[in-house]
Amino acid sequence: MKLLSIKNESVVYRSKTKNVLAVNNVSFDIDKQDSVGIVGESGSGKSTLALALLKLLPKNADVTGEVLFEDKDLLKLSTDEFNDLRWKEISIVFQKSMNSLSPIHRIGSQMADIYTIHDGSADSDEVKGKIINLLEMVNLPTRVYTMYPHELSGGMMQRVSIALSLMHNPKLIIMDEATTALDVITQGQILNEIAELEKKLKIARIMISHDMSVVANTCRKIAVMYAGYLVEFGLVEDVILNPKHPYTKGLLKSFPPLKGEKGELRSIPGYLPDLSIPHEGCIFKDRCPQKENICLYTAPKTHIVENGRKVMCNFAGGDC
Amino acid sequence: MARYLRKRVLTGILVILVSLIINFSLIHLAPGNPINLLAGKDNPSQEMIDTLTKKYGLDKPIYVQFIHYIKTLLKGDLGYSIMSNEPVGKLILEKVGPTLLLALTSIILALVIGTALGILAARKRGSKFDIVMNGLSYLFDSTPNFWLGLMLILIFASKLKVFPTAGMVDLRTQSEGIAKVIDILWHLVLPLTTVTLIQIPYYFRIARSSVIQTMSEDFITTFRAAGMKENRIFNKYVFKNAILPTVTVFGINLAYVISGVAIIEIVFAWPGMGRLMMTAISKRDYPLLMGIYLLLSVSIAVCMIVVDVVYAIIDPRIRYD
Repeated sequence: MKLLSIKNESVVYRSKTKNVLAVNNVSFDIDKQDSVGIVGESGSGKSTLALALLKLLPKNADVTGEVLFEDKDLLKLSTDEFNDLRWKEISIVFQKSMNSLSPIHRIGSQMADIYTIHDGSADSDEVKGKIINLLEMVNLPTRVYTMYPHELSGGMMQRVSIALSLMHNPKLIIMDEATTALDVITQGQILNEIAELEKKLKIARIMISHDMSVVANTCRKIAVMYAGYLVEFGLVEDVILNPKHPYTKGLLKSFPPLKGEKGELRSIPGYLPDLSIPHEGCIFKDRCPQKENICLYTAPKTHIVENGRKVMCNFAGGDC
Repeated sequence: MARYLRKRVLTGILVILVSLIINFSLIHLAPGNPINLLAGKDNPSQEMIDTLTKKYGLDKPIYVQFIHYIKTLLKGDLGYSIMSNEPVGKLILEKVGPTLLLALTSIILALVIGTALGILAARKRGSKFDIVMNGLSYLFDSTPNFWLGLMLILIFASKLKVFPTAGMVDLRTQSEGIAKVIDILWHLVLPLTTVTLIQIPYYFRIARSSVIQTMSEDFITTFRAAGMKENRIFNKYVFKNAILPTVTVFGINLAYVISGVAIIEIVFAWPGMGRLMMTAISKRDYPLLMGIYLLLSVSIAVCMIVVDVVYAIIDPRIRYD
């Protein structure tokens, strides 16, 4: 059984004047203790996809498709049923961790408050002990318990957010650009800590990032999104070493390799299409260096190639 | 905390001193003086004018006069009114009660009603209630307070005859005890309504926008993601965060209302400090005016200190040192 199985998920933001198709027919699976990195440029629908899993999107967003979490369809659960599952099964770490807690309440009391949502029977000493354990687990001093968010550095607050997300031993953690705002040294430390904790606590992780190197180093699988579409999905080593989709190739060329020859860094010319206008053919056709006539009129199907790898391109080969 | 308080009190005293200097210079530099009024219009002799000027010490340079004023003030003496020859302290004390009754009651009412409406509107953002309340807030915000007072008199006192037009007590029925309290409250309704209606929009808008802003903060998403109930998120986290701007506005408004009810007191013939001040201005009664200004600046300074301290208690990000 898959831990999480996303099937044909689409998200449309509706407003009076237009509808923006932010996530388009995305499907992929996550196994237990798996780690999937979602990459793509800003506006490609990464965060929308993740927030849709936790039903945190604004009211004007329509989510369709199926999101099966241990065979329960999350989209069909009632608010109360879903609230029960939140944090206990799926938790999230946000990018702007500096603002992830109320600035005028003490960190410990907020963590305790979140803890008791799902464990109301625990007495306050027990909760405090548990939270101090959590803080120690992410290498924070226990005095953080009585401190306010503004008294901590960005890295420390990120650790608080991670401690918070681990509170109820969830099966899946979503990290939405969780280390993007940190300097590379702190980022590296935290990523190592996350990897260790994951092994220890047997957690699966979805990592949203626009940093290919972060995903390459910490995830088992990678999902490349472009303009709301999942254009390529597969094991990190397959995708990085042998990218099949022209967009993935472009993304990889725009990051410098640490080892080997110095290649030319190249950005992908053009920009994301307007997602409120229906389009014909391939979504990437305007920026694709390999496009041919078929791409202008025929929307590419998702081809499944070796190792369960998916590529959405007319020239990917393999089975559809 | 004690250090912070001491620092704030010292700044407060400085503010009062500066405002005394400015007030003193302004009223003495303004054209006209009390001597002309005292001497009368019937071609007063130069000798008489000189004697009067000397009597009130107005012949000395302005800074000497100011130092003299401060000296007597430090002895706890506010001086004597030039016009009525009564102690300024006594005159003010007689009038301060009705002003405080009107100003403080209206401030508290406006704070509670305005904030409650603002929170409701924010939680039902975009609803009919929100739209109507927003419109009303702009309407009352742009209404001159004396005009609103006159309209209320016209409608409720003159036409409908439900409330009295003016004054604080009914002079015909020398009532005592409970009856007197009811009589005062009855007279209070219209002036209080006016001053309150004028202030509600401030609290409404600040509460509304502040709640809306707080609701969109990232930490609200954290609590939602963790499965916390909306009511708990609101009561514990949104409210305390959103009330901070209201505290600031409350302080500024408190000061504004204490000095600003004067015009409403005149419209409703409310026997408060407003009328006392207007008479003192027109008669150039320097000691009385200085006394009133001193009271206003002291109350404003105190309000500011109280607000700063309350703010520092609620918001840990404010440093005490």
